[in-house]
Amino acid sequence: MTQETNSVFAEIYQRVKPECERIIAMYPQSRSALLPMLHLFQSEEGWVSPEAQRACAEMLDLPPSVVESTASFYSLFFKRPVGKYMLQPCRGIGCIINGAEEAMAYFRKQLGVGHYETTDDGLFSYEEVECLAACDRAPCMQVNLEFVYDLTPEKIDAMLAAMRAGTYATPPLPQTAKPGKTWHVSYETGKKAAGAQGVSSPNDPGGIGDRSGVSMLRLIEKDPYPIDVRPTRERLVADGRQVLEEIVPAEGESH
Amino acid sequence: MALEKVLTAGIGELNLRDIDVYRAQGGYVQLERAIKELAPADILDLANKSGLRGRGGAGFPTGRKWSFLPANDRPRYLVCNSDEAEPGTFKDHMLIEETPHQIIEGIIIGAYAIGCKHAFIYIRGEFLEGYRIFCAALEQARAAGYVGEKLFGTDVSIELTVHRGAGAYICGEETALLNSLEGKRGEPRLKPPFPAVKGLYGEPTVVNNVETLGYLPHIMRRGPEWFAAVGTEKSAGYKVVSVSGHVQKPGNYEIPLGMTMRELIEVAGGLRPGRSFRGIQPGGGSSACLFDEHLDLGYDYESLAGAGSMLGSGAVYVFDDSTDFVKAAHALVRFYAHESCGQCTPCREGGDWLERTLERILHGEGLESDIDMLVQVSHQMTGINLCPLGDSIEPFLASVVKRYPEQFYAYVRKPPQTVAV
Repeated sequence: MTQETNSVFAEIYQRVKPECERIIAMYPQSRSALLPMLHLFQSEEGWVSPEAQRACAEMLDLPPSVVESTASFYSLFFKRPVGKYMLQPCRGIGCIINGAEEAMAYFRKQLGVGHYETTDDGLFSYEEVECLAACDRAPCMQVNLEFVYDLTPEKIDAMLAAMRAGTYATPPLPQTAKPGKTWHVSYETGKKAAGAQGVSSPNDPGGIGDRSGVSMLRLIEKDPYPIDVRPTRERLVADGRQVLEEIVPAEGESH
Repeated sequence: MALEKVLTAGIGELNLRDIDVYRAQGGYVQLERAIKELAPADILDLANKSGLRGRGGAGFPTGRKWSFLPANDRPRYLVCNSDEAEPGTFKDHMLIEETPHQIIEGIIIGAYAIGCKHAFIYIRGEFLEGYRIFCAALEQARAAGYVGEKLFGTDVSIELTVHRGAGAYICGEETALLNSLEGKRGEPRLKPPFPAVKGLYGEPTVVNNVETLGYLPHIMRRGPEWFAAVGTEKSAGYKVVSVSGHVQKPGNYEIPLGMTMRELIEVAGGLRPGRSFRGIQPGGGSSACLFDEHLDLGYDYESLAGAGSMLGSGAVYVFDDSTDFVKAAHALVRFYAHESCGQCTPCREGGDWLERTLERILHGEGLESDIDMLVQVSHQMTGINLCPLGDSIEPFLASVVKRYPEQFYAYVRKPPQTVAV
């Protein structure tokens, strides 16, 4: 943690503290204020940073582990810094039967990133989400939680161009940390219990059990998958072996 | 067909977000009448007589739910459930954004009826716009004296707090919602004790859907007999139905229960020209798909249950002959696998297994035996979890595999790919 980020957080903390106290007073028990407070910190910081979690824990007199456990349950709390525009096309059944697959493939192609990833310039994060309750205007999506309906390639092009030019109607998310090549994993995988060590799949190459996204991060840093090409089975097996070899020291090495 | 609009009256024509417009339509009159003239027991009586059933999914009679509250002087809570996330449902989304005052009026009447002094509304995290609109409406209502201390000069005080979720389907389950409202992980609790006995903060609690509470002012104004006379004997009244999929005019339609599904599809503009009907999912992602032979069944709780499906939250997907049911089933299974809270092993592991198996089938690497396995695994997941999420995969998956097995076999009957591993 650098001095710089600490001072940024200290300023945010001073700003939101009175609002947090107001929220706590709204509930019969203070712990109920946890979700609204995390929302508040995220709206200021762009993500739920470890400092924000510790601050919530202190204000609510909870162990930090409890705050982290709770925050990790909800998919709207971002565990890592994300881009200025959080693009979340819907992959629910209503959108899938109305052309969402084409829209999502188009996004991946135009952005050059896949599910749960952030572009190198830190402008876009991309995540395919579950039913957004707007099936009457499918395929739909949310940009920083504002709805966009009836997606077409033209609409997507216009939207991305406006965002790059800084003229898009929905304001960008605040960004207090640089995403860089950081692998954005929403907290959701944290809710899978231990033991569910998963195998790779095209959308989730790290596997369900890969909670930290470590193996995925390594894969991406080394050699990103082509976005619209499904990796072959040989490729997945080879990658899996490579990761295994890195994590588990080769025989004899450790002795 | 001209449909009478009750809850959805004025949507799209009037700015009902404004308290003055809502009052000009007769808004908050029933709240004043309830608090000044009626006793809580009178409202309970009205709810019972009207035959109003929960509109969130389970369809439990509202009056009976209220009457389960023990008669003690502990604090009790009313929680309005607007964590709408059932695939295909988008009625609460509309109600929260378009008629927030109607919902506030319904919540306060409901809170008065059960003797609650502090009510909550839990709004889905993704509905940021709806949350802002609702909060603005609540401030208006508070300023006008409809929420807060000493309502209408009486001793009745009812507070309402808006709580925003953070992206978890499971929080629509009432005990998970209560945990989430308490600032915990949204994991369903073991029942019993039911929320009526031990709910929010361990106190007696009632959780009602937005739409259920929204009907209360209308039932008060026009009388329970009016509501009970609409629909069928066991499914009284109106229901806001979200119709989507392959229809020409998808959207929310308020219909009298008991209308046939054929009529319902017509109300939503019918199928696209040149397309033929393949299936209808009548009650959201958790309901079994119904087919041609069911189209003349009434859209009501008992007829749908009789056909092996359910009315659920009133989300209707219509599928025409362009539908790839393998992809549809995959999207739905992926949803439940993603939204499982992870507490119960059958649901957590079963969902993932099914998702992976379907993914394998979709990529042409499935085996014929995988198709039987889909049905078996989804069946074995039912009835052994803390909440109904684990039971929700089987109905749709099993019904489409049974009806359109050729679509599934078409994916697996390809020359096997030999890969040296």
